[in-house]
This record gives sequence, C-alpha cells and structure tokens, in this order.
Amino acid sequence: MADLLRVEGLGKAFDGFRAVADAALVVPQGAIVAVIGPNGAGKTTLFNLITGLLPPDRGRVVFDGHEITGLPAHEICRRGVGRTFQIANIFPRLTVFENVQVAVLAQRRTSANLFRPAAGQAVEDTAAILERTGLLARAQAVAGTLSHGDQRILEIAIALGSRPRLLVLDEPTAGMSPEETAATMALVGRLAREGGLTILFCEHDMSVVFAVAQSIMVMRGGRTIAQGPPEAVRQNREVQEAYLGDAGA
Amino acid sequence: MTVPVRRPARASAGAAVALLAALALFPVVGPAFAVYVLALILVTGLLALSLNLVLGYGGLYQFHHAVFYGVGAYTLAVAVTRGGWPAWLGFLAGPLAAALAGLLIGWFCVRLTRLYFGMLQISLGSLLWIVVLRWYPVTGGDNGIHDIPLPAVLQSVVGAYYLILAVVALSAGVLYLIVRSPFGITLQAIRDNAQRCQTVGVDVRAHQIGAIVIAAFFAGTAGVLYVALERSVFPNLLFWVLSLEIFVMCLLGGWFTFAGPMLGAALMVALRTVIGRYTDLWTMFVGIILILLIFFMPEGVAGTALARLRARGAGAGGRG
Amino acid sequence: MDLSALASQLLVGLSRAMILFIVSAGLSFVLGVLRVPNVFHGSLYMIGAFVAFTIAAWAGEPALGLALAIAAAPLVVALVGLVVERTLLSHLYQREHLMLILFTFGVMLILNDVVKLVWGADYRSILPPAALQGMASAFGLALPRYNALLLGAGPVVAVAMWLFTHRTRVGTIARAAAVDREMVGVLGIDVSRVFALAFVVGCYLAGLGGALVAPTTSISLGMDHTIIIEAFLIVTIGGLGNIWGALVGSLLFGVTQSVGLLVWPQFAVVFPYLATVIVLLARPTGLLRSVW
Repeated sequence: MADLLRVEGLGKAFDGFRAVADAALVVPQGAIVAVIGPNGAGKTTLFNLITGLLPPDRGRVVFDGHEITGLPAHEICRRGVGRTFQIANIFPRLTVFENVQVAVLAQRRTSANLFRPAAGQAVEDTAAILERTGLLARAQAVAGTLSHGDQRILEIAIALGSRPRLLVLDEPTAGMSPEETAATMALVGRLAREGGLTILFCEHDMSVVFAVAQSIMVMRGGRTIAQGPPEAVRQNREVQEAYLGDAGA
Repeated sequence: MTVPVRRPARASAGAAVALLAALALFPVVGPAFAVYVLALILVTGLLALSLNLVLGYGGLYQFHHAVFYGVGAYTLAVAVTRGGWPAWLGFLAGPLAAALAGLLIGWFCVRLTRLYFGMLQISLGSLLWIVVLRWYPVTGGDNGIHDIPLPAVLQSVVGAYYLILAVVALSAGVLYLIVRSPFGITLQAIRDNAQRCQTVGVDVRAHQIGAIVIAAFFAGTAGVLYVALERSVFPNLLFWVLSLEIFVMCLLGGWFTFAGPMLGAALMVALRTVIGRYTDLWTMFVGIILILLIFFMPEGVAGTALARLRARGAGAGGRG
Repeated sequence: MDLSALASQLLVGLSRAMILFIVSAGLSFVLGVLRVPNVFHGSLYMIGAFVAFTIAAWAGEPALGLALAIAAAPLVVALVGLVVERTLLSHLYQREHLMLILFTFGVMLILNDVVKLVWGADYRSILPPAALQGMASAFGLALPRYNALLLGAGPVVAVAMWLFTHRTRVGTIARAAAVDREMVGVLGIDVSRVFALAFVVGCYLAGLGGALVAPTTSISLGMDHTIIIEAFLIVTIGGLGNIWGALVGSLLFGVTQSVGLLVWPQFAVVFPYLATVIVLLARPTGLLRSVW
C-alpha cells in the first residue's frame, strides 16, 4: 500500500516553546491512523502544520508524492486534505445546507461566481453529503442553533464537501455523550469503508482509538516516540512509560 | 432527492416592484424639495448598501468606506472640469477609479485582521483625504469644486432624480444577486469563520479583496450620482466622520438584512432634513438615537422587525 | 537653510509631538486596559481646550489664568469621562469593538453639540503670560518659550504614567488587566472600579493635552476631528495599548511633519500619514509590542 501522507522531522516553536519538536508520521492509503499522546503533546499543532494553518519551522510534509510543506491552507485543501477541529468550527449564521454548500462550491472552484443564484448550485452533491451524515432533515436550520453533537457532525459534513482523500479529524468525539461518540465513530468507519477515505485522527478516549485505528502514532513533548499497529503500540515499553501508564488505558 | 432550498420570497420581490413604481411616479405628484430629498436618500442608501456588502456580509472592519465615495465623486468632477472629458466618460471613470482605489487599499488591508484592518484603512484613506485637501490646482483643496458642468438633462432636480433612481435600482439589484451568489454565500461563510473557510479550500484574502473592490465600485457609483445631484464636491466626502455615519446607517437599518442599510440611510437623511429645520444641533439627536439603538436594538430597525416576525412564525424553521 | 534653523524646526516638531503623546497616551491606556477604542477622546481634548479658555478668561491675569486652566481643565474633562463611563459605557464592555466604536462615536456627536451650545462656533484663544511669550534660546537654538514648556511636559507625563502603572497598586492592577483580564478577576479585585479609574485617567490626559495646546492654537469646533485620527494612528503604529509605543508614534508623527515643512510645505501634513502607512505595512501590529 502506498503512503498517502508522510511527515518527516517536522518542528514548530512559539516564542521559544517547541510545541512540535520532531514529529514523524506515515499514513498509508485507505488506512485509519490515530495520533495519541498526553495533553500538550503537540497533536493539534501537528495537525495545524499538516493542513497549512501554521507554517512549520522545519521538516517535510509529503502528500500523495508531492511536497506540501508550508503551502497555504486553502491550497492544501484543494490537493485533497480535509479536516475538522476540536471545537465545533462551523458557519453559525448560515443554514446547515449552506455550510456544506460553501465547501462544495470551493471544491468546484465556483466560489467566485458572482451572478448566478447559489440556491440552485451544487444542490445534489450537498444533499448527498447531508444524507450520508444524517443531517438532511435539518438542512434549512441555522447552523448555530444545532446541538453540540450535531454541530460536530456538521463539521465532518463540511470537511466532506471538499471531497478530501485524506480526512484529518481533531478529537472528533470531544465533549460528546457515549451514544454520540459511538454514532460518530460508526460514521467515521463507514466513511472510510464506503467512501474510500483515508483518515487521520487524534483522540483522548483510548477505547475509541484501539477499536478503530489500524495504526497508532504516539507523541510526547512534541516528539514521535512510536508508530505501529495497536498491539505493538500497546506492548511498547517506552509508550507504556510515557503515556499509557499514567493515562490508564 | 428533494431538498428544501431557500427561495427568494415572492412577497419581497413584489414589494420591490411596487416600491420602484411608486418612486418612479413620485416626481409627478411630489414637491421639488421632496424629490431632492428622495434623490439624496437613494444616493446615500446605495453608499450604505455597498458598505454593508463588506461589513454585514463580509464581516470586515471597513472603517473608511467614504474614501471610495469621494474618489468616485472627485474623479467625475476633476475629469469634467480639469480634463475636459465628456460627462458620460466621467460617470464611467468614477466607479472604476473607486474600484481601483479599493483594489489598492484592500490589497494592503486584508493582510491584517479586525481592528488593525480598520486602522490601516483609516490611515490609507486619510492619506487620500489629505492629498485631496491640499492639492489645490486639481481638487480645489478645502473649497472643493463647484458648478460642475453636466448635460442639460441633469440640470433639473427631476432629471437627476430619474438618473439616480435608475442607477440605484440597477445597482441594488446587482448587489442583491451578488449576495445570493456563490461568491456571496462564501463571503458570509468567511465572515462567520475565516479559518474554517481556508480549510475547505477557499482563498479567503482573494474573496475579501474581491468584496472590497465590488463595494468600492458601488460606493464610487454613489459618488458620481451625488455629483449629478449636487454638482459639487468637497473634501468632507472622504472624511472619516462620513465613514462612521455610513456605519451608523447600516446599524440603524440592520446590517444582517439586505435592505436594512437603505432604510437606515432613509431614516438618517430624513432626520437630518426634519430636525435641521428646527435646530442646527441635529448631530446631538443622531448621537442620542445611536446610543439608544446600541442599548435597545443592536440588530437595527429592520433586523429587529425581522426577528419579531420570525419569533411569531417560530416552528416554520429556516430563516427569511 | 542653515543647520540651526533646521534643528529649531525639529524642536518645534518635538514640542508638538509632546501634545500628541499626552493625548494618545490616554487613548492607548484606555485601549489597553478597557479594550475600548474611544472615538470621543478627541472631543475631550477639545473640551479641555474650551474649559481652559473659560478658566483663563475668568481669572483675567494671564499667568494665574494659565496655571489654573492647566490645573483644573483636565479635572473637568475627567469628570465628564467619569459620568459617561458610569452611566453608559460600563454596561457595554461585553460588546464587540464595532459597537463600542459606534457608541463612542455617538457620544462624540453629542459632545460636539454640547460644545456648540456652551461656547458657540466662534474661534477662541488664550494669551500666554508675558514670561512665556517670545523666543527662548539655548545652545544657539531658538524656540518659542511656550514650546519649550511643552517639551518639558511630555517627559513629565511619561514619568508620571510610569510611576502610576508601576508604583501604585491600582495602576499595577490596571496594567495587569491590560495583559490578562481573567487573572485580575480571579484575584477578587473589583475590575469595574479599576476600569472606571483607567478610563478617567485616559480622559484626564485628553483634557490635559487640550489645556496645554490651548495657548498655541485657535480653539474651535472641529479641532477634535484631526487630533482623534492622529491619536488613533499613533496608537496603532506604536502598538495598541502600549504607552511607550504612543511616545514613539508621536515622535514619528511630529518629526516627519516638521521635516515635511522643510521639504514640501504645502504637503507637510501628508508626511506623517505616509510614515504611518509605511510603518503599518512593514510592521502591521505596530513598532512596539501590543498588549492585545
């Protein structure tokens, strides 16, 4: 299996604090890969570096054989990397439908179209995504009025709108009830199986990680200390000391 | 698959046509002074509508929008009086010059966010204002330029009124289309969450610059229409106080509605005309009204009315 | 033009920069502590000048009148600020900047007409006492005496502000609030009183600037319009909320203007604006560290 994403020696410092010091990561085509690590390990910063929200100080990010290090976020998205955020990051004053439509229009490069009404454009693709994510019934609701769980699902729907090949999810179940967590992870699994999506996510809930991920990367203090299949990671002594020991896996 | 898609309300389209017909007939029955006030309302209203594209829909701190109004007006005035251009060419050049100014100023400003965006725009705009104020041979300095020769049709208030009505109606229609277009929806998405837009592949800065250029173009259009009505220009057209006044109009009408700013402009111009008859302290009234609005009606008159309507029809879902 | 004339010109520019500094330090302090971009700061400056005129006229004797005016006018202005803060502004701190700007603009419109009602639309002026008229000279440089006084006033205010924010309890809290508002709340300090005091200090400085400038200019309606825009630009290029930034920005403003007077008098006023634009393009968030 070819590697869809490769990260090598990535580093980023803020005012001298090295949030990510030396991160390495391999995401094979079609796989579900998790990043774990204690709070402040640099997971979110790593995702921001990969998706272009932050420019790295050093290191390389290679997507689908092309280096994308330091490209602007919208450019990286256009190459096929979609993402969600830890907090519900949506367009609160737009309708649910428009939230997803914006992404679909951007993906089709028709965002700059000035005079044709948007109401008739990209309707079917948008609706298909809403249907897949179970949001179709709420299509005309103003997004800011959705429940927290639905807003997180909407986030995934927005990310799907840009037709990513790699979907990066930053703690997709944070703040969710156990039922919502189960439903969300079922959705993620289905997207990977049926849509042929490659998924990279980070997560606090170890049961979720070990149930879903095919490969796990462990970070601590901004560094990658291991990556491998769940069983190997579980038995890695350094990982146990660094993380699983005190997190109580 | 059937999707409940928001449709432009038939009722408001009907209302727009009825309003347009009433405005077209008004000079037949109305006194000349009222026609003049109405023309001023339309010009100011277009200015406020154009600001609201970047302010209400784009979420940008466009602190010095009057600059584009002034650039449009001065371009026409200078082209006709100093350059000897035919008036129609000046009328075209005004909005284009304003759009160019929008491109230049916007290109610099979108690098910054929020208050810094606004402050950079004020400094760039004030730079233009100072140049207009001091460049006597071309701009007439603090005296401005008066008695600008325009075609005979525009010499009468009614003639100017019909030009203004036609252009404002057309411009408002185009702005409405833009707001509902993919560009418009994307602009609103950027307002709500610029970071999220980047990560779905939207070039945020390019869209923001585009919006500023379009808004500047229509502000410049309002500027040339102002000259058609008043046949004079003066530096206060691009002074920061006017910029804040346009802001107030948008707030007054409601900046999350399309027509709100036009309503706000109408209220402001009408207030100034009515109160101005009795006292020269009319800015105090505007100040008091503004403060009352901020405390009691932060969504503006139209916004508040709309919210009431929605609350009454709650359960219908969606928005107007 | 010979070198000493150039130097004198620069000194005049510097003395003007001191007025700008005093006014923009107040604006910057309010921006830093309260996060309020106060548009009516310029009106307070204008009121300071008009009140100074009234006091000086009432006192009659020029030296006494000027001294009284400079002592009392800023206090009157601070009182105006206190009333606005307690009755209206203090209810709006949670609102967006946009609303705060519009609110302070509304107050500006009202104050403008209040000034028109009280003092009318005429030009007023204060005659400086004989001791402060004419030219002072030192090291072969000539400078109007009153400008020499202003040259001294700037550093005095700068030191006083430093002492206030570093050596008094309330000032230290205000400074802390500028950097981290949550922390101050957590410490169990009555933030509302700190805010009120900070706002009043800011207004006092606007009034002081107005009182100090009064003898050098014609006092009139509209004098608030230019000062506020200049003060905002100075605060922005200095770094929002940074008082030393306000000093740097004021010096840049004053010096570029006096250089402009030598180079291209007709467009002298353009130079500071041009300098502002260049600074903002090179360092978008200001020369010194912003507290925002």
